[in-house]
Amino acid sequence: MNEQASFNMQVLDALLLDYATGALSLPLEVLVETHLAMNEDSAKTMNMLMKLGGVLLEDSEPVSLSEGALENVLKAIEDDEESAALDTRRLDTNSGFLPRPISDYIPNADHASWRRIGLGLFECDVVFDGDQGRAKFYRIAPGTAVPSHTHSGTEVTLVLEGGFTDETGSYGPGDIAVQEEGCEHKPVADNDGECLVFAINQGDIRLTGPIGRVLNLLVN
Amino acid sequence: MDIKNENFDFELVTDDPVSLTRDMGTGCDNDNAKSMSKWDIMLVRVGRERDKVAFAALFDYFAPRIKSFLLRLGTDMSLCEEIAQEAMIMVWRRAETYNPAQSGASTWIFTIARNKRIDRLRRENRPLPDLSDPAFAPEAVETGEKAIFRQQEEEKIRHALKNLPDEQAKMIFSAYYEEKSHREIADESGVPLGTVKSRIRLALNRLRAHLDEPEGIWKP
Repeated sequence: MNEQASFNMQVLDALLLDYATGALSLPLEVLVETHLAMNEDSAKTMNMLMKLGGVLLEDSEPVSLSEGALENVLKAIEDDEESAALDTRRLDTNSGFLPRPISDYIPNADHASWRRIGLGLFECDVVFDGDQGRAKFYRIAPGTAVPSHTHSGTEVTLVLEGGFTDETGSYGPGDIAVQEEGCEHKPVADNDGECLVFAINQGDIRLTGPIGRVLNLLVN
Repeated sequence: MDIKNENFDFELVTDDPVSLTRDMGTGCDNDNAKSMSKWDIMLVRVGRERDKVAFAALFDYFAPRIKSFLLRLGTDMSLCEEIAQEAMIMVWRRAETYNPAQSGASTWIFTIARNKRIDRLRRENRPLPDLSDPAFAPEAVETGEKAIFRQQEEEKIRHALKNLPDEQAKMIFSAYYEEKSHREIADESGVPLGTVKSRIRLALNRLRAHLDEPEGIWKP
C-alpha cells in the first residue's frame, strides 16, 4: 500500500471512531453515515466499533441512579402505552430512526441554489444548524479539471456519484478523500459521467494556479 | 402490573439459567438461547412480551452503567441521570426491533444511549441510525449461527482490547470515555495528529484481525 493510501485509511478509521463515539459535527456525521451506507467494509468496522462500545459500557463501574429512577421510567412507559394506543403510528417501529439519506439535502440540478463557479463546475451550499464548517455539494462535468487550490482547513470529501482523480489517488462512489490543511490539489472528474461530491471544510479554500490567483482577487 | 411485588421473583429469575431459556419466546431453539447472554434474553422478552420484570432487570444493570459512562464523558451529573432514564425509556419503546442475531443487548443499548446523548446535546431531532439498519449489518447469515458468532465476536473484542499496546489502548479509551475526537486527542495529549491517526488505525486493525479469524461454524 502506498503512503497516500495508507494515510487515507488512517483518516477513515479515525473518522469512523469519531462517529462511533458521537464526536463528529452534524455535517461530518451525515457524511460518514452516507459513506457507511455505501461501503460495506466501513459498515463492518462500524459494527465492530459499536460492539466495542457495548463491551466498554458493560465493563463500566456502575453509578447508582437517584432514588425512584426506575419508578419514574416505569411511569413514563405506562403513560407511553396509553398514548401508543391512541397513536397507531408508533407501531411503525422503523419510522424516525433510520439515517436520513443525504439525498434529502441535494437540490435538483436545475435548482437555483446551484452556482456556476467555473467551466463545468457547480457548487451548492448545504446549510446545517449553527456554524459547523462549510458543507457544499459540487457537481463536476465529465473530464473537467477543477482549478488547482489549497485549503486552509482540512477538507473531507465524499463521492456520491461518478469519480475523480487528484494527486492523492482515484476516488469513486462511497469513497472519502481527505485534503490536509495547506495541501494543493487539482481534481479531475472521470470522463464517463458527472461527478457529484459532498465536501466539508473547516477553513477557506484558496485557488493556487495562475488563473486561480486571479480568481482569488475576484472572490475577495 | 405492580412492579414492586415482582422484585423478589426477579432475583430468582435472573440467577436461574433454566427458567430464563424456558418459554422465552425468542423463536430460537435452546442451543441458540444458550449462546445469548441473559441480557439478550431479557431484551427479547421486553420486545416480544412487553415484560416489565425483564425490563426492570435490564434497568438495574444498564442504567447505572450508562450513567457512569456519561459521567466519564464529562456530562453534568443531573443530565447524565436524565439521559440514562431517557435511554432506558427508548430501550422499552424500541425493544421490538431488537434482533439478537445482529447485536448483543449491551451493544444495542450502547447505541441507544449514544444516540440519546447526541440528541440531547444537539437539542434537535435528526433521525439517528439503528443497528437494525441494513447499512450496519451487511451479511445475511442464518439467525442461530449468527447469534453464536456474534457473541464470540464480543468476547474477541474484549480479549483484543486487553492485549492492545498501551499507547493504542489509550486512543480507544480517550475516544470512548472522554468523547474526544482524534483531533482533540492530538491537541490535548501533545501527540502529533499523524501519530494519533496511525495508532487508531493500528488498534482497529488488531481488533479487525481478531474478528477475521475463521473460527466455529460461521463462514463469511
